[in-house]
Amino acid sequence: MIETPRQITLGEWDLRYEQLLKAGLSEADYGGVLSRHVEDGDRRLLRLRYDNSPAALRLWNFLLTEEQRLHRARAEGKKIIGTMKDLGTVPVMAYSLDNVVAFYPDGAWWIPCVMELSAGLLEIADSLGFDESFCPVRAMLGAFVSGAHFPIPDTLICSVGATCDDFSVIAQRLNGLGYPIEWWEIPHRRPPEFDELVVKLPGGFSAPQCQVEFVKSELQRVKKVLEESAGQRLDEKRLSAGIKKANLVRGYLSELRRITFTSELSPLPALEMLIAEMLAIHFCSDQDDTIIILKELLDVVKTRVQEGKGFLNKDAARIFWVNPVADLQVMNLIEDCGGRICGTEYLFSHALDKIPVDIAPLEALARTALADPMAGSSSERAERIYRDACEFGSEAVLISRIPGASHCAMEGQIISKIIKNRLDIPVLEIEVPPLADSIAPGLCTRLEALVETVKERRKK
Amino acid sequence: MICVGIDAGSRAIKIIFMDADSRTVTAKGVMDQGVEQNRLATELFERLLKDSDTDREDISRIVATGYGRNIVSIADTTVTEITCHAVGVRHHMPEVMTVIDIGGQDSKIIRLDRNGKIRDFAMNDRCAAGTGRFLEVVAERLNVEFESLGELAAKSRNPAAISSMCVVFADTEIIGLLAGGKAGEDIIAGVQAAIAARIVAMAGRNVDLPVVFTGGVAMVPGMDAALQSAIGQQVTISADPQMTGAMGAAILASKQLNESMLSKQA
Repeated sequence: MIETPRQITLGEWDLRYEQLLKAGLSEADYGGVLSRHVEDGDRRLLRLRYDNSPAALRLWNFLLTEEQRLHRARAEGKKIIGTMKDLGTVPVMAYSLDNVVAFYPDGAWWIPCVMELSAGLLEIADSLGFDESFCPVRAMLGAFVSGAHFPIPDTLICSVGATCDDFSVIAQRLNGLGYPIEWWEIPHRRPPEFDELVVKLPGGFSAPQCQVEFVKSELQRVKKVLEESAGQRLDEKRLSAGIKKANLVRGYLSELRRITFTSELSPLPALEMLIAEMLAIHFCSDQDDTIIILKELLDVVKTRVQEGKGFLNKDAARIFWVNPVADLQVMNLIEDCGGRICGTEYLFSHALDKIPVDIAPLEALARTALADPMAGSSSERAERIYRDACEFGSEAVLISRIPGASHCAMEGQIISKIIKNRLDIPVLEIEVPPLADSIAPGLCTRLEALVETVKERRKK
Repeated sequence: MICVGIDAGSRAIKIIFMDADSRTVTAKGVMDQGVEQNRLATELFERLLKDSDTDREDISRIVATGYGRNIVSIADTTVTEITCHAVGVRHHMPEVMTVIDIGGQDSKIIRLDRNGKIRDFAMNDRCAAGTGRFLEVVAERLNVEFESLGELAAKSRNPAAISSMCVVFADTEIIGLLAGGKAGEDIIAGVQAAIAARIVAMAGRNVDLPVVFTGGVAMVPGMDAALQSAIGQQVTISADPQMTGAMGAAILASKQLNESMLSKQA
């Protein structure tokens, strides 16, 4: 028997925290009352609503203490690796080494939202030539220059090639500012030609053998860089163990997604699911705790489903969400408007797929890296979205754009067309800036209209 | 029993009183929108009660729609303008497959299936391009009345090419065109074409016929022709286009009332 799931405000969490403490809540060293993060400048937290489980409390505290964790790692003499753009492959390699912490400097793109523009990161980026016509990931420049957030990594590794134009140019600027970057290339994934050997990739994709070989050679270079930085050999044994651990994270997430997206009542709110899924990319600088947190969330979700408890009504519109949002509040908003998230594609689905374990580890990682949705065409992305939407029983697809971001200028139209043709469900595109307060009424209209459309279509 | 639809749009409030059984309109009114949207909606509602000699007790259900729908305190419930426009247009033209609605602040393409249900829709983003606001900016810049835009555009023989889709940039472009000696009517016709192009871009290539044009901008003469030219298909202006949203809201109010009575009987 567990407490009825509810979404509560930060103030309500403070009260609940006191109650949980009295009841003997056991916490990690980064635990504590959630509202303390507002004092650190994370003002957006005051506007969000949170899942009321202790597991969710731990998830949030884990997320919001990553900078402290990185500073502590530096103080302890650990090597800090910034793994940029690649969402999910190099971190697996880095975490296979001892005394290495890898993190995701690009994650700074959420700081303007969480701190409600008070950190001044976008202004710094602006002064460096990156105004609002660029992706909010430009906040990363401000974080490096100000040094006010994460420690400057010992080594920076960034993928280029089939990646966003905005990100590439921002990373090049960073390199030019005196933060040297080790680049590795991820090619555009193309269909094999008739005379080429075909390799099956995770996620249902395929690529010619020569592309897999190329990525493997690039990852071999990355491996050397990591070995030099860490002063250790990254042999197959270590790498295999690292892959096994990463697969544990992916396995928990896969189960969490399956149960959350397919259960009759939503057992976990969209916001916490988004944060949980993001852990797959970079483990929030602590792979061991990521595993513990996901296990705890999975336990909560399973118990809620068993007891028939959850959020929203059973008739909530089942919406598949494409691309992450710049403003976290919008994940609350979709639920306010009568929708629930049943399926996601946040541009890192390759970080959710299990890494093959029946082949050599570097080959397995190369295949996983090539399965990156951003490395292939938008049509292939759409095919995967179609498959997942079928699996999760989605009734509509919502494509959320980020102002200035250029994952693919035409992706919305391409995904929309394929989903409509294959699944005949409504597809809606919205644009969400880092702070969406002023456009919230307009966003609500779109989201409510999507929910109305879904519910009307259910009627015979 | 009377059901009421209130469309609290960004530029005007529109209200329709409808007999729930016969679905005939018993009263309707329009009032300019202002800061105090709730007060203005209530004022218009009360004026219509008085003008139509209707008792407040005769009002069985009120549905609000439009941009300000959530602050209309007299409403029993709200429904989005996308659903209301679809229902309102179908009331007049059941065979409609595509609805183009251009209002003061937003524009929408609504695609319907053969049964009149919404298949999907698209709406403009934060940018006001493709909305009535674009025309307002032109009227202000050219110092002409909004109502005369259509008449002026009809005189154009050589519409200006407006390349910017952003209202702010387009404003700058208009200044440049004026400085270059371009006639006002050509600029207005150019802006109408630019709005139509924006709508077509939003619609993609899938415009199923028949197409009905609704919303306040449908009342601007020449806009239907601009849309027709951009789409390459016939575009019909909805009956009483400014009232379509309110009409849809009133119909939905009467449907909700019927459903509630049926469930009580059951």
